[in-house]
Amino acid sequence: MKRIHGIRGLASVVLAASMVASFSVIVATSGSASAVAKPRAASSTFVIGSVNSVQKLDPDIITNFLDFEALGLIYNTLVQENASLKIVPDLATSWAFSNGNKTLTLQLRQGVKFDDGSTMTSADVVASLDRATATATADPSASFIGSVTNIAASGPNTVVLTMSHADVSVLEGLTTVNMAIMPAAAITAGTIATKPDGTGPFAYSANVANTSFTMTANPNYWGGAPSLSTVEIETIPTEQSISAALEAGTIQMGLLSEPTVVNTLPKSYPVQKVLSLSYRALQLQDKKGILSNVNARRAIACATNRKQILQDSVFGQGKVVGPVPLGPYASKPVSAICPTQNLKLAKTYLKAAGKPSGFSFTAITSTDLDSTSAAQAVAMQSELAQVGIKMKIQNLASNAYIQDWLGGKFQAAFAENGADPDPYVMYGRYFGKGADLGVPAGYSSKSLQSLLLAGDENSTAAGQAKDWAAVTTNLTSNAVWIWLFDSNVFAALSPTVHGFTLSPVNSTQLYSLATTTVS
Amino acid sequence: MTVLSTIVRRLLSTLVTLLGVSIIIFIVLRLLPGNAVTASLGVSEGLLTHAQVAALDRYYGVGQPAVQQYFSWLHATLTGNLGVSLVSRESVSTLIGTALPVTLELAFFAMLVGVVLGVGVGMFSALHPGRWQDDLGQFVSVVGLAIPSFILGTVLVTYMSFHFHYFPSSLTFVGLFTNPWLNFQQIIFPALVLSLGIAAAILRTTRAAVLEVSNLNFARTALGKGVSRRAFIWRHLFLNALTAVVTMSGIQLGYLLGGTVIIEQIFILPGLGRLLITSINNRDFPVVQSVILIFAAGFVIVNMLVDVFYTSIDPRTRKR
Repeated sequence: MKRIHGIRGLASVVLAASMVASFSVIVATSGSASAVAKPRAASSTFVIGSVNSVQKLDPDIITNFLDFEALGLIYNTLVQENASLKIVPDLATSWAFSNGNKTLTLQLRQGVKFDDGSTMTSADVVASLDRATATATADPSASFIGSVTNIAASGPNTVVLTMSHADVSVLEGLTTVNMAIMPAAAITAGTIATKPDGTGPFAYSANVANTSFTMTANPNYWGGAPSLSTVEIETIPTEQSISAALEAGTIQMGLLSEPTVVNTLPKSYPVQKVLSLSYRALQLQDKKGILSNVNARRAIACATNRKQILQDSVFGQGKVVGPVPLGPYASKPVSAICPTQNLKLAKTYLKAAGKPSGFSFTAITSTDLDSTSAAQAVAMQSELAQVGIKMKIQNLASNAYIQDWLGGKFQAAFAENGADPDPYVMYGRYFGKGADLGVPAGYSSKSLQSLLLAGDENSTAAGQAKDWAAVTTNLTSNAVWIWLFDSNVFAALSPTVHGFTLSPVNSTQLYSLATTTVS
Repeated sequence: MTVLSTIVRRLLSTLVTLLGVSIIIFIVLRLLPGNAVTASLGVSEGLLTHAQVAALDRYYGVGQPAVQQYFSWLHATLTGNLGVSLVSRESVSTLIGTALPVTLELAFFAMLVGVVLGVGVGMFSALHPGRWQDDLGQFVSVVGLAIPSFILGTVLVTYMSFHFHYFPSSLTFVGLFTNPWLNFQQIIFPALVLSLGIAAAILRTTRAAVLEVSNLNFARTALGKGVSRRAFIWRHLFLNALTAVVTMSGIQLGYLLGGTVIIEQIFILPGLGRLLITSINNRDFPVVQSVILIFAAGFVIVNMLVDVFYTSIDPRTRKR
């Protein structure tokens, strides 16, 4: 052992060498921090961090939010929703319904050029809408203009849509990027899925799968060339890493949804927030079992403290809403029977349902699809327990949840559904006659179908307001589902960014990048 | 048994193992609920007509029998065609070709630092048994094993960015030959995080092996015969302890490939791990199958190399 102790020196050298090598690496690299961070900041590339990645380049088949936001910068639609969720001109400068709301005539903006340099005409619009409505395309928004039986050009700058029945919601259906206008030549050439070609403020440059999506300013943009020469959406897998990248100055904007991450950002980083164009609800299946009893469903509605669920699941970052969360027809009050928790009334409904001591049911959640769904479920579980209603929670993987949801194989499901200012677009697919999503909706009623149809056919603002208020009353008084809340989405900005306004509309959420500058 | 016959035997068993892995991966992926259409469209699938869904099923090959899908995939894989991503429509070979170098580079640096630290500190501890140096080594190893790499990675990223405004990995990743200095900065921090766990395991193994060898008769004899300190440490202690160290290093390298999955997420590295997570979420079967197969092949090949290395460093294994 004496000799072993005698070789201490050599061992020390090995250890010291290891430590020095490691620490020298750290020190050397840390010392160059600013030298590394500066090139990106100094360049004209505006980098947006998002946990998602752009998955598809064909605007007619996209379904995830980021695809809408990214392609919404490249493509225009005939009409779009502004920040107040009102329909405003985009590639159509004006429009008019006629023939008892069965015909829609749109006048096109003139002098608009596609990225390939060609000028947009009515033939491009007809080709684009024909493609969107073709079965082979499988456009998920095709049903929104499902009543359209004919799309025709009437001169170089006029397009006429003919509907099978009065349907003013068609206009709303045209606002999504799924109805993007693209060159007829590109459709014929079959290049849409690989090389986006639109009329928006930015032009497609490159897409590295799961990594980055790059666009360059469109110098021919009809709204004026953007000052940002290049915009890159970089996929950053966690929101904590987005926050870190923002701090490090390697990105200029972070798209966030976790309030906990937003709260950790220093005050010097402006954070914009808007209510998302979606809503959380507990969907109920009324076909069999205890939930087929309207009073049992009403008891759930009245025992629910929506404000507390909002607080527990998203730290209060959002708003308690009814069936129509946003827009000119937003539900007021949020429920016709219990706008706020009313345990006494809940117990009354339980008695009426023949279950004075309560009942039990199972609700499915998927934290893969909505990370807050488990927190919503746990909060609601404790609230319902106050009146003896036992809600079992079953958390499923995303695809299992989707399969059960689509097949209506659930008693209750915590869901995050897309919203729209037009209630018919929102609920026609769930509760309308022959609704595409009638199975997961779990409820059908002729009176509700009639109300939806009346609202869809009515083109006067006052008439629609009355019709849509009646729809809200019908949905909530029958406790068809339990509508909970709408949460905020956030855009955290570098202090150097000016002129950006986050829009609640997915298709135009980032559209103000067209007028954004970086100092 | 010669080195060559060892290699041939191990290569054959590697092929059988990989075939088994491919079958298991294939079955497990098909047992998961949902398919590529569901993953691609989510609940929006419900908005499509039956004709639209049928068109998508044909497009994604959803309706084909599982056995037919397996053999057509296996045949294509053996002929070098890994298929096309169901999401991005890019060839899987291209996706893996872009991601693999990132993961290999990360694994190389992590292993390098882990082995240097683990062997160095392990030797240091073993040569001072029961003293403060040994206690320090033990403490380092316990810390290394106890702290999960994802926590250490998150803390490191947060600390560097908030205090030094430094997060080189958040810049678009650059290749080793494109910008070596930036590439080094992007790789070294995740490599250091990954290396801590590796170093801890190797440290403990090295220490235990060296201590065991130092108590054997030949070691005491060597000391009694007056062998020099350097020769005693390296020729008698280290070389005899090397088998255990190599075994542990091989195991750690295998696990390291799995560890990169999490670390690549935190440090925004576009490697195989991140590609795997994204593809699993998207039910992108061709990519998932190929990436898992590569991870499995990596694990098996590393173990094969360890076996071959045994025959070089331990003559007893050649006589069996």
